[in-house]
Amino acid sequence: MTNNAFQHGHAAGMRIHVLPTKAFKTFAISLYAGVPLEESTVTSTALVPFVLRRGTASYPETTQFRERLEELYGAGFGFDIYKRGDYQIVQFRMDTINDSFVQSKESLLGESFAFLGEVLTRPLLENGSFRASYVATERETIRKKLESIVNDKIRYAAERCIEEMCRNEPYRLHPLGQRADLDAITPETLYQSYTSWLNGATLDLYVVGDTTPEEVEKLVTAHFGRAHHSEAGGYTSDFTPVSVTEVRTVEEKLDVNQGKLNMGLRTSITYKDDRYASALMYNGILGGYPHSKLFVNVREKESLAYYASSRYDGHKGIGTIQSGIETQNYGKAVDIIRKQLDELKAGNITDLELSQTKAMIRNLLSEIQDSAFEMISFDFNRQLSGKDRSAQELMDQVDGMGTAEVKAAADTFELDTIYFLTGKEE
Amino acid sequence: MEKLHYERLQETLYHEVMDNGLQVYVLPKPAFLKTYATFTTKYGSVDNHFKVAGSEETTVPDGIAHFLEHKMFEEPEGDIFATFASNGASANAFTSFDQTVYLFSATENIEQNLSTLVDFVQRPYFTDENVEKEKGIIGQEINMYADNPDWRVYFGLIEAMYATHPVHIDIAGTIESIATITKETLYTCYNSFYHPSNMLLFVVGGVDPEQVFELIRSNQQGKSYEKQGEITRIFAEEPEQVASKHVESRLAVSIPKMMFGFKEKVDGLSGEAAVRRDLTTKLMLDLLFGSSTALYQKLYDEELISDSFGHEFNSSAEYAFSAIGGDTKDPGLLLERIKAEVGRILETGFAEKDFERARKKKIGGFLRMLNSPESIAHEFTRYQFRGGDLFEVLPLYESITLDEVNARLHDHVNWEQLAVSLVVSP
Repeated sequence: MTNNAFQHGHAAGMRIHVLPTKAFKTFAISLYAGVPLEESTVTSTALVPFVLRRGTASYPETTQFRERLEELYGAGFGFDIYKRGDYQIVQFRMDTINDSFVQSKESLLGESFAFLGEVLTRPLLENGSFRASYVATERETIRKKLESIVNDKIRYAAERCIEEMCRNEPYRLHPLGQRADLDAITPETLYQSYTSWLNGATLDLYVVGDTTPEEVEKLVTAHFGRAHHSEAGGYTSDFTPVSVTEVRTVEEKLDVNQGKLNMGLRTSITYKDDRYASALMYNGILGGYPHSKLFVNVREKESLAYYASSRYDGHKGIGTIQSGIETQNYGKAVDIIRKQLDELKAGNITDLELSQTKAMIRNLLSEIQDSAFEMISFDFNRQLSGKDRSAQELMDQVDGMGTAEVKAAADTFELDTIYFLTGKEE
Repeated sequence: MEKLHYERLQETLYHEVMDNGLQVYVLPKPAFLKTYATFTTKYGSVDNHFKVAGSEETTVPDGIAHFLEHKMFEEPEGDIFATFASNGASANAFTSFDQTVYLFSATENIEQNLSTLVDFVQRPYFTDENVEKEKGIIGQEINMYADNPDWRVYFGLIEAMYATHPVHIDIAGTIESIATITKETLYTCYNSFYHPSNMLLFVVGGVDPEQVFELIRSNQQGKSYEKQGEITRIFAEEPEQVASKHVESRLAVSIPKMMFGFKEKVDGLSGEAAVRRDLTTKLMLDLLFGSSTALYQKLYDEELISDSFGHEFNSSAEYAFSAIGGDTKDPGLLLERIKAEVGRILETGFAEKDFERARKKKIGGFLRMLNSPESIAHEFTRYQFRGGDLFEVLPLYESITLDEVNARLHDHVNWEQLAVSLVVSP
């Protein structure tokens, strides 16, 4: 793992991270732009990349924009918008074939940078602002995306649980923003939002592939230099743990065949904490894997569910539990799940659970190096949290965990919210 | 051991057939830490009526292939997930129309994990009690899919197209059909389809091929298999026309979902001819409905389609159909617009430059796929079961002509063969 270290530098107001390797057939490029998650800007920030993907100065029509990507041997291009702690992150991704596999006249890495640089810094402008029809259509796209969350009941229940649990924090906000804010956004206001977003965002650019930091810096300077003068001071992580006073239960009725049971937990352990490895172990033993307590007790022993698992989000300091059950089994399922939480607090953990969970986490961390985008994502977590801890160090810490450390981690996890999505009475 | 080198892809594949008929393929990826292995039987949800030479003709309950997949994980000494976890492997399985795939991914204890994979799949253990217990779990899996509008609209389309062919039967079956499954019916299916001569093991990652073959050779020599007679799959005659032109189901959705597609005549294609037909069809569908086409952009700007709009082509020796669609506020208008626009393209055919660009995109997509051990293993096995070779796809793409794609367009787009599936809010 040590031979797979990113080389870090700066260019065009961005932090540049390059990992030269011949392991892949492509160049993987990621650009992260992060701003604080705030009610006043969340919706316009979300809308910006949707409009940027419609057209640039050189490729004003969306068909031209997409044809260009196809000419670059179908270069993968996409973006995601998500929350990491109390930041709203826009991540652009490109995945371009290494020229050596095709007979290309142009340098595909160079052309990809030219493309991405243009998307970010030279959008299509009409009368000094975004094209009105693009803004109008993409506003509708976001509206429909927000409205359609309810179509996927598993995802809907997970998001509702977080929304209820964090109702007094920015984290309640959806990364795509709020429907009510959409109508007020005009091409002019959005262009202003774009400029302040670009100047205010912390930008991290990653490349993994058969290249060098020197080549990347040259390309960045050539293609990103026009508009960006970052005023961002990087990420700060002033985390204040939220303490739980009582467990809150929220029930919602919708037309569903299966009830969705979700729970939210709070912990004081976050990514940058030295106890992070113990929280990973806690989550692994509780519900991260098919050998975990939730899967074994809710599914295998009681046949109550097809899925029963837990997740731990170290950037926000929360844990979540999710399962799909018959609505009349609600009480039974809640009891069994709470029993597992109590077992962990009591330190009732077998040596086998410990060793199996360690092996699974070790595997997960080792596998990161076989995927360019996973490596990028892992390194970005380090940038975001300010915690410089390699996968190898984390693995060593996990290996050293005993029951006492996991029990100590369990003491920091408190059940906060129980959310149940249930069927409507006939 | 047979060695196959693909110079342009910079990949070398090793192959050996075991004495009992098991096909074993190894693709070393020296730069990778992880190893990914799939153990696949050519047996899926459509194989519900069959005869093995020397045995009686048999019809089995819907959903049994998938049920069998679940039950394979249970061993006399407990759940096989625990054994994998002890060796740091992440294991899983899935059932499709014509395959059941067992898999693991691991970065350590590779030989042990490979033995576990092969051994648990070759050691069925069904009891009356464990079969009954599984009905609750799979019942919840069925309910979960019943709440999923994407699955409902997709399966609705297949149900609309096929009257008798079992491809229209949900892979998991129904609560009623799985109620009739017993350990005896499971053993019947197991003994018919899990003979090594009906299976393929694919190993990709940081492994030494000779070591893998040696391990599997001695593993298989330690087990006795009678030579198995030929498997005949029996399908009732499927009418050429669609069973129903229009189907609708009701689910709480924010916006209707529509899928439509064309049912093709059964042509019994196999081997390279089948692969060529599939690739040509996929190119053709991309030229018609891909996100860079004028048609797509027009429909998007009219707010009749969203980013969810996509297309696929699904085929075997007994069925072939396209599935096209996504969310739309006005299914009727969308279909009308598509008929008009596609009608125009049918008159002119595709342009040379669009064809070349679409081909480049496909070639790039293929090369990108080779970064993923998971995709390689799944796709290779799928091609092999149809008598094709995944690693010959590149020259095949290069040899496809515009005339062929235009001919495919006229062949496939036959309005008489159109079926439409909708999911709308109650």
